[in-house]
Amino acid sequence: MTFTVKKTAAGAMAIAMSLAVLAGCGGNSGSNNSAANSPAPASNTPANTAAPENTSAGGGEATKLSGDFTIQYFVGGYGDKWWKQVIADFKTANPDLNIKEEAGPQINTQNKPKWIAGDPPDFVYIDGPELNDRQMAEDGLLEDLTEWMQTATNVDGVKILDLLAQQPPQYGGKIYNVPLVLNSWGVFYNKALFEKNGWTEPTDWDSFIKSSEAIKTAGTTPFIHTGKYPYYINSSILFPAIVSANGNDYKLFQDMGNSDVEAFKSPAVLEALNKIVELRDKGFIDKASVSINHTDSQMLFLQNKDAYIPNGLWLPNEMSKDVPADFKFGFIPSVTQKPGDKVVANTSTATVAIAKNGKNKEAAKAFMQFIFSVKQASKFAELSGAPSNIKGDISSSSAPDFVKQAAAYLTADSTVVVPTVTFNQDVDKAMQDATVALTIGKIDPQGWVDRVVKVVEKVKK
Amino acid sequence: MKLGGAKLQRKLFIAAFIIPTFLYFCLFTIYPILQALYNSFFDWSGMSQFKDYVGLQNFKDLLQDPIMLNAIGNDYFLVAGKVIGIMLIATFFAIALTRLRIRGAGFFRSIFFIPNVLSVVVVGVLWGFIYNPQIGFLNAFLSLFTKEPVTINWLGFESHSIWMLLPPTIWAGIGFYMILLIAAITNIPESLYEAADIEGAGQWHQFWHISLPLVWEQMKISIINIMMTTLNGSFVIVTIMTAGGPDNSTQVMGSYLYQQAFKQAHFGYGASIGIAILTTSLVTTLLLQWLLRREQVEVS
Repeated sequence: MTFTVKKTAAGAMAIAMSLAVLAGCGGNSGSNNSAANSPAPASNTPANTAAPENTSAGGGEATKLSGDFTIQYFVGGYGDKWWKQVIADFKTANPDLNIKEEAGPQINTQNKPKWIAGDPPDFVYIDGPELNDRQMAEDGLLEDLTEWMQTATNVDGVKILDLLAQQPPQYGGKIYNVPLVLNSWGVFYNKALFEKNGWTEPTDWDSFIKSSEAIKTAGTTPFIHTGKYPYYINSSILFPAIVSANGNDYKLFQDMGNSDVEAFKSPAVLEALNKIVELRDKGFIDKASVSINHTDSQMLFLQNKDAYIPNGLWLPNEMSKDVPADFKFGFIPSVTQKPGDKVVANTSTATVAIAKNGKNKEAAKAFMQFIFSVKQASKFAELSGAPSNIKGDISSSSAPDFVKQAAAYLTADSTVVVPTVTFNQDVDKAMQDATVALTIGKIDPQGWVDRVVKVVEKVKK
Repeated sequence: MKLGGAKLQRKLFIAAFIIPTFLYFCLFTIYPILQALYNSFFDWSGMSQFKDYVGLQNFKDLLQDPIMLNAIGNDYFLVAGKVIGIMLIATFFAIALTRLRIRGAGFFRSIFFIPNVLSVVVVGVLWGFIYNPQIGFLNAFLSLFTKEPVTINWLGFESHSIWMLLPPTIWAGIGFYMILLIAAITNIPESLYEAADIEGAGQWHQFWHISLPLVWEQMKISIINIMMTTLNGSFVIVTIMTAGGPDNSTQVMGSYLYQQAFKQAHFGYGASIGIAILTTSLVTTLLLQWLLRREQVEVS
């Protein structure tokens, strides 16, 4: 008796032990990435306080700026090289100004008490977690720039509004923030893999479905997405599909952004949702999608386990360490358009704003005039690896190739460029949950609409 | 007079230890709780300078929020699963390592304690890889026994993904409670077991009539502790492994609090969820204390 109990105990321990050991193996064999939870991992490039070059004379400035001037900027996937440099330049142009930088990957959280206490930084870059421009505007934290922007010129005397590729968003008919970074959502694929297998690169929904069928027949899963954070599939598939279904008019999409109940009930929304249903019913969506995060889905994509991935243009930069040598990124902003129809680029912008309770609004405005100059467009692209929102030819700059391509896409006439819509966060979450539920067959498109409409109605109250 | 001086000194001595601790406790426990309670009466985004007083509205909403009700269910599911799983296995290992005289007991003791040294985040990531449908260990292991490769998405079932959170949390919890029980069992006088042996009582009898009654206090503490840490701490494992998904099916109160307060700008509502966690923990502790009461058995 004792003996058997002893033996069982030892056996159980042996199994438990081996499980622990094997678990370690499983972990190692996976990949060498850590579980980053914030979608844009911070690249902590050491502070590059480059010696100020090309110091501008500050043509637009009539008054001499002085006093303290505080800038809050989140450091994420775009790094902080550009910020360091532009701030140094600004300091050179305004030697009497005492510039304080409040920056880092956690700065949004760290600085919250200051905003709550009514003692915010003067100038803020709205990017990263826990900062939402719509919410900040609604909370009355941002300076109303509506009038100022109508006439504001940059340091070179050019009107800022004329320089912007994407116009500022409006909340309640007012301008509070100005887009600085201009990126796009879309669908990536591996060109090399497509060439090797003779699959045709997609140009519209029909060719996308046709190639997916060929891909599936060849034994590869056609489509993977980041189900744990479903805004990837929403932003890259669903939203462009809504714009396409609405005859390339993005007014409907903007109405959705303003929590207009009727907009969500539009047939264009149902038509777009049915595209996702088609993907689901044809078995194109990788079953792994629903539970994985962005890093895992991107790794599977880079390993050619899946042919298509909806993502943002920062993907090649984000995964640069893990991209196999023979991998060639192909990108199309949208696949949901009818043959012959325009491509829809759902942009993803990060904006800058001035705090309503800032102490040095004058300096903040001058800084805005300073950064929105043509010269900064290519500098931004070079130093942060993303297209800036300043119109300007960056083809001769040393920016990465995909950034130049993206910039080309976003300025082409054949593209419908959709200004970034920031949804109410409750509505956004409801759409994300509903889309996941749709991809696993828990609800149908009408169920999606019903669910989201319920939340929108509550938000509108 | 002299006596009074000694008394005063004694009081001063005690106060020197109690007062700093008490102040610390007030500052870092009582004050945040009161703050949370205060915030739970407001509609506040968490960043705005202005808060709207809404009375008990947040709590009313809470009771009608299907995600919250589901989260409470998930929390108690994890409590029940962890209490049963951890207590059964920890007790078994503790008995095995003390009473069954297994060779290399010390080695096994250290091995089983290792998961406790790992941060919950590491545990979550590790098990995320075990469960990974494409490159995970579990599917690879199961595929050894099937013709077709197994592609089960362990964390992707909308209806029972919460079950998948039990193995990692149990695995990570066993070690600590095992050590606690080992300490209790080794305190039991050997003579009791010797007497039982002479009387012909087997291992099972000895466990049931000697070990269990004498370690009951420790078991009770373990159960209550598992319950409290689960209600307060499931947030981490849920956030790492599923982020509350798919479609909020694995949301627990802690993760929903985070979602509401920091991602959806409902700080007041988040605070009311925090108060709900506090209340449920308190009520469940009292309930368990009462349910687990037993006459104290003491070794004289």
